[in-house]
Amino acid sequence: MTKLEAVIQPSKLDAVKDALMEIGVDGMTILEVRGHGRQKGHTEFYRGREYTVDLLPKVKVEVVLDDALVEKAVAAIVGAARSGKIGDGKIFLSKIDDAIRIRNEERGAAAL
Amino acid sequence: MSASPSLFDLVRIHSSESASIRQGFETTGDGKVAIARRTALVDSIVGRLWQEFVAAEIDQPEGLSLLALGGYGRGHLFPHSDIDLLFLTEEERPDPKLQDRIRKFNQELWDLRLRVSSSTRPVSDCGKLSEDNVEFTISLLDCRWLAGDRKLFSRVHDQIIPSLVKRDWQTLVQLLSEVTRSRHAKQSNTIFHLEPNLKETPGGLRDLNVAVWLSLIAAFQKNGWPAKESVLPVANRGAIDAAFDFMAAVRCFLHYRHGRDDNTLSWDAQDDAAARAIGIPDHAKIPAADWMRAYFRHARAIDRLTTQLLDEVPASRASLYQHFQRWRSRVSNGDLSVVDGRILLHTNVNIDAALVMRTFEFLAKNGFRLNSETEQRLSDAIATFVSKDLRTHTLWTHLRHILGAPFAADALRAMHSLGFLVKLFPEYHLIDSLVIRDFYHRYTVDEHTFLTIESLHRLLLPPQKEQPSEWETYFGDLLKELEQPELLYLALLFHDVGKGLPGESHVANGLPVMERSLRGIGVHQEELDTIRFLITEHLAMSATLRRDIFDHETVRGFADKIGTPERLKMLCLMTYADIRSVNPEALTPWKAESLWRLYMAASNYMNRSVDDDRFHAEFEAETLSRIGELVPKKSTELRKYLEGLPHRYLRTHSPMQIAKHFEMSTALAKKPVQISLKHTRGLYELTLLTGDRPLVFATIAGVLSAWGMNIVKANAFANQAGTIVDTFYFKDRFRTLELNPPELERFEHSIVQVLSGEVSLHKLMEGRERVATNGPTKLQTATRLDFNNHSSSHSTLLELVAQDRPGLLYKIASTLGRYGCNIEVALIDTEGHVAIDVFYLTWECMKLSGEHQFQIRRALLEELELE
Repeated sequence: MTKLEAVIQPSKLDAVKDALMEIGVDGMTILEVRGHGRQKGHTEFYRGREYTVDLLPKVKVEVVLDDALVEKAVAAIVGAARSGKIGDGKIFLSKIDDAIRIRNEERGAAAL
Repeated sequence: MSASPSLFDLVRIHSSESASIRQGFETTGDGKVAIARRTALVDSIVGRLWQEFVAAEIDQPEGLSLLALGGYGRGHLFPHSDIDLLFLTEEERPDPKLQDRIRKFNQELWDLRLRVSSSTRPVSDCGKLSEDNVEFTISLLDCRWLAGDRKLFSRVHDQIIPSLVKRDWQTLVQLLSEVTRSRHAKQSNTIFHLEPNLKETPGGLRDLNVAVWLSLIAAFQKNGWPAKESVLPVANRGAIDAAFDFMAAVRCFLHYRHGRDDNTLSWDAQDDAAARAIGIPDHAKIPAADWMRAYFRHARAIDRLTTQLLDEVPASRASLYQHFQRWRSRVSNGDLSVVDGRILLHTNVNIDAALVMRTFEFLAKNGFRLNSETEQRLSDAIATFVSKDLRTHTLWTHLRHILGAPFAADALRAMHSLGFLVKLFPEYHLIDSLVIRDFYHRYTVDEHTFLTIESLHRLLLPPQKEQPSEWETYFGDLLKELEQPELLYLALLFHDVGKGLPGESHVANGLPVMERSLRGIGVHQEELDTIRFLITEHLAMSATLRRDIFDHETVRGFADKIGTPERLKMLCLMTYADIRSVNPEALTPWKAESLWRLYMAASNYMNRSVDDDRFHAEFEAETLSRIGELVPKKSTELRKYLEGLPHRYLRTHSPMQIAKHFEMSTALAKKPVQISLKHTRGLYELTLLTGDRPLVFATIAGVLSAWGMNIVKANAFANQAGTIVDTFYFKDRFRTLELNPPELERFEHSIVQVLSGEVSLHKLMEGRERVATNGPTKLQTATRLDFNNHSSSHSTLLELVAQDRPGLLYKIASTLGRYGCNIEVALIDTEGHVAIDVFYLTWECMKLSGEHQFQIRRALLEELELE
């Protein structure tokens, strides 16, 4: 099993959710986060006050998948989240030791 | 019920009697009978186990009693409630043999699948009030003898408990009050949850217990143990009995449905309960929404009583609170007094509609609650009112005062619960206790509405416990800048009313309801336009937040849709309030930051695009036609007047105002300076039309400064034909015009004379030396200038922020004039002691060069930082 964490632009969340559901991924966790990569922040002035936007609002999508579905999911996210500009985000993959369904203690891929 | 003494039989007895109780409940729906039968069943089982495991084995049964506590003690044992038992001993340390017996006793109960909560305590514990364990003392108020030494029980019941209560009643009620208020706070202090917990939510069974305990403790002061049936105030007994009947039936239903002690009225459970008419007299099946309205009606009765009793809890030992209460009590008037923090209408007053309105205005201003007797009197009077008699053209004046007051939400809740709001706006019943099921909303539609208004007022109240967050400070500052905040509150009052009607769009459904509700009550057309706009677009900002808010096109599209800075501020605050009131976690710091950034980007866009966004008649037939209706047969002249004016001018003025300015422009041939001066909302508004020429703006600013006026806001626009339309909003610092009406004419004449060159501005300013300060300020604002040659296609944008002081605008404008700048557009604003000015400048019809900007910057900084 693989955990997929995708940090994306907030405006792309609906498209990414739809894309994942289309390939059969129903469960996901969404977090509101802030961050930046090479896309640095900027300074905005409003009525004489300076507002520095160095950590930009992003959304993180987390899903745990059967290994067989990982590449499809990556392709789905890339397709939905890409705009071509710096700031599109990143996807991280990591191995998961086990998964347990709380309701009935099912384990492994069956719990996904 | 007959049974053999065999322990084995207890399983059978428990099982068959429990099934019988359940069947009885499912047939009759009577929760009170069900819980009484279950109590009797458990009494019987406990009695038998006592005989088997305790009494038969102990040499000395004296000095040991078995008591029922809590709900079991009250005789209210719900199907899956815990059984609270107390083994009361004379000895401080019970015999180990006895402890062993008790352990086996409890084990047998567990084996019968009865959830036991058992404790063993000496009698001496019953006479002590521990602040760490007030629950034990409270539970003793419900104690009931089950088995064992009756004399021991009587000593505790008849002597020790009454002694403790009489001695420590003040601490006891204060601790009970703290625990209750803490529970209420965790439930957002409202009964109107979409999925309430029947026990814990305000207005639920726990609150009913609290009300009985508080009344019991008060009754102890006089007569020892009172009869529990008559312990509640007489006025409330009928409503409370009915509420308990309903709640008992619903709790039994939930326990049977869930198979455990789960008291959550989930949506599924609501559907089920409604289908089975649980708690409804004559078992009439009603829709789930109406069933929930019945629930809220009963919850409200319990909540009202409990709140009233909690408010009567004596002040804490801190004298500061006592002083505060006494001070608050002095806030009274001819109609009413405030007693113990509650509004009490005088008995000799005639309760008519005007008095009712005054009472709610008082409540909105001061935040007190109504005394229960006053509530009843008001409710009786309101029931006789006729809606059409209330809906007069002065209603908006009163409503404006209520909506703008710090405790508006509390007043609206009281008006709603007493039926007054529905009398004023009959269609408001559509959202009365309305449950709309969605994942995010936690409260009924009406409570959500009141919360939106409350959340805005909270931004302006001093912080209670924690310092406000960064975002709350920004949004609070924005709220203070609004010219007519009451329009925002009125829009919020109606923004979700459409949810009470069937159909896809609650916005589209709600607009006609709002229009009908606000017709004929004194709301002006322009105000109605603003309210309609806010309701129509109240989801626009949330929708835009789902897009890329750092993308220029997104911001432009959004800003163009909103149109004016004032509407943008209102919509931003409306969005803040709407999200904030969905549930306590909805407005995360992430979301608040995004909302603020979108607001900032749109506001900056609006200020930086004024110059390019101009009216061109050939593309704007509809606008031309709308204004043309007000000035018939003058369409050609109107077209010429409007051509080239920034859209900002058209958006910030009503068609009536634009028509009036047009009429003034047609008189310029005869009188080259046209002036209109009026006093509105604490400011003077001066509108001036004249031919464009150098230094006009600076000259007007100079005249105003010479007369001691403090310019708060100003807009300067010009059309293609070279007519300028400048509007200045100013405060008359020395009240010259207010106290000397003849000076009004002289003032206007002075402007004309200076503009026409008859009188020198310099001479006017010399002759009128004024104190050049607004008074001491804590924070000095550093002067900041930003030039931008990219925002407009043909002018240079100058954004200037500086410490506000009288004469500032004249200094800035005259400096710009000295350097040959033509002011194409000026947008002048003040925020506290900070002047925030935007100028679109050209020099000989071109943008300013870098060198020119540098010279102007140096000159302005010298001029402004000289003082």
